[in-house]
Amino acid sequence: MAIGFLVGLFCGALSGLGVGGGSILMVWLTAVRGFDQRIAQGINLLFFLPTALSSAFVHARSRIVETQIVIPAAISGAVAACAGAFLAQRIDTEMLRRLFGALLLVIGALELKKAWTCPKERDLRSGQAHSA
Amino acid sequence: MLKKKWRAGAAGAAAGIVNGLFGAGGGMLLVPLLSAWCGVEERKCFASALCVMAPLCLVSLGVYALHGTLEAGESVPYLIGGIFGGAAGALLLRRIPVRLLHALFGLLILWGGLRLWR
Repeated sequence: MAIGFLVGLFCGALSGLGVGGGSILMVWLTAVRGFDQRIAQGINLLFFLPTALSSAFVHARSRIVETQIVIPAAISGAVAACAGAFLAQRIDTEMLRRLFGALLLVIGALELKKAWTCPKERDLRSGQAHSA
Repeated sequence: MLKKKWRAGAAGAAAGIVNGLFGAGGGMLLVPLLSAWCGVEERKCFASALCVMAPLCLVSLGVYALHGTLEAGESVPYLIGGIFGGAAGALLLRRIPVRLLHALFGLLILWGGLRLWR
């Protein structure tokens, strides 16, 4: 319970900082705690909601939303998410885990590249975003 | 403008399929797509991405719940941690060196990817 809280705290902080805390939570749940990939995915989806709300609440200055982009993206995204979630119920869970591992390898490499190429701190006044 | 809407739709669909399938990672895909394909300014990306991701997560959760693959009880400690963590992270923003953050996060993710891939 206490460990779960601390892991949630850590991953939530990463999410609030704009790097994908959810993917770290997934790794914790599957690789460390041994949860089934699908169960871990459900927990992670739930985790997104309160974490996103609390970081958006604090992050008052970045509460500006581009509605004309958000609405079409959310509509097509919801349809695609539905398809993805149905697919996730049918794919073999082992396969799902390996595919997610491959995705993480790509994301990790991109993050390192970003660390290498991004400008010095003082030039980065904005540019943080949130991920599930 | 119409073209921009189609591009937004495509970005949302890409994030949706990834997030539905893996329950994670949609936001990490959506943010760069919003700025690269739709020209959303960086300062608007955070909240805009959240507004897209929230309905995606809700829809995915519905599908997981229908299939009985949602164990809400297990998630409670993580959710409580997430509430405080999310706020703390947002407060720390601009106080943490960005390059260090990306480097550490990248290494952590690579380690996780290797463990899951095997």
